[in-house]
Amino acid sequence: MTRYRYSVYGIGVASDTPLALPAYTNYCLGDVECVTAPAAASLAELHGAGPDAQARGWYHHASLADGSTYVRWDEIGEFVVAADGRRITFRQLNASSLESFQVYMLGQALSFALVKQCFEPLHATAVVVDGQAVAFLGSNGFGKSSLAACFLEAGHEMLTDDLLFLWPSPEGVLAYPGPPRIKLFRGVARRFLGQAGHRGGMNEDTDKLIVPIGGDRWCSRPVTLKAIYTLAPPRDACRRIDVSVESLSAREVFVELVKGTFNRRLVSRQRLERQFGFVGALTELVPMRKLIYPRVIDRLPEVRTILLADLDRVAGFATAAPAR
Amino acid sequence: MSVSLSDRVKAAPDVLFRLVGDEGVLLNLRTQRYLGLNPIGARVWTILEPGATIQAAYDALLQDYEVDPSKLRLDLDLFIGQLVEHELVEDAEHAPDREPR
Repeated sequence: MTRYRYSVYGIGVASDTPLALPAYTNYCLGDVECVTAPAAASLAELHGAGPDAQARGWYHHASLADGSTYVRWDEIGEFVVAADGRRITFRQLNASSLESFQVYMLGQALSFALVKQCFEPLHATAVVVDGQAVAFLGSNGFGKSSLAACFLEAGHEMLTDDLLFLWPSPEGVLAYPGPPRIKLFRGVARRFLGQAGHRGGMNEDTDKLIVPIGGDRWCSRPVTLKAIYTLAPPRDACRRIDVSVESLSAREVFVELVKGTFNRRLVSRQRLERQFGFVGALTELVPMRKLIYPRVIDRLPEVRTILLADLDRVAGFATAAPAR
Repeated sequence: MSVSLSDRVKAAPDVLFRLVGDEGVLLNLRTQRYLGLNPIGARVWTILEPGATIQAAYDALLQDYEVDPSKLRLDLDLFIGQLVEHELVEDAEHAPDREPR
């Protein structure tokens, strides 16, 4: 029985256990039910996914015969996401903390549900500047969260960390709030957020902490998206001493958005076709620029200043031709 | 790959094209691979996609750009070779009729 109701990423979440999520609101575009797996049986065995699951390190993934998807992160948890994306059956594995488990369930596992419900989440972190969302797009380790933490230090609100849910509206493209927490390296958390608040570790393989964001620093409502900055890979920026914001052609924007999709595991024909249309439309609707900067923590306030100045010019940097 | 100007190629099934600005992006749903096209490539694609002759693309580009005809011919060969390599086009003469995507 799902007794708890929440909203995250524009999705209504019903769960049979309490989750670290905001209360349910009425602006949900889809629904997911999170249900604890029956005791004393592994989900892999129940669904016949064990031996055939594709393993990459500690991550396992399998498409099941009924259209559902099995995913597991060793030591964290295992999940079965229903074919229609409306139910996630989960099991927390003993070694994981509740915070870490929920990060995986409400990020990685939930992304399968979102895609199965025909949504296209992006791998991005977003903050709120002057009432509008500004997103940082990039793969793991590109510095999205660190840059966002630097904006939090300056008094800007956090909107979402790691997974960005966008949806078009008459007012513009809306960016939806994620869970009120951010994953940060210890040094970055100390530098920009101080020592306040409970922090839990992600997993044994990373020094990242899960830092809760208080209500005064977190935006709980969807806001229009002002711009996306795609972060240059750290290896391309390591020799840079300057910070630069570069224009992209519409084709480059398209490619960056495709690369920035959150879930690359689901590659059915229908998903790719939908993604192609979504990304094409987004290319025409949202300004995007490329941000190149040295990955030095003390330089982040300078990056922030340059971005804020760039945002003042954002109305003039359309990246694409008008919609056809 | 060398093609005759009288040849016709058309978009292969399962290939999506989108014009973004004056450039283009192709996706082959079967191979799951994307290919970006610069403005000239996008122009050639829009001419060839419905099954026009390569001559039609050649004539259009010769009219639009100041280019040496022999260089244009070579570049067109190269471009169509890439489209074939990525399974984005097929021989329009022998392809079964399909509803356009």
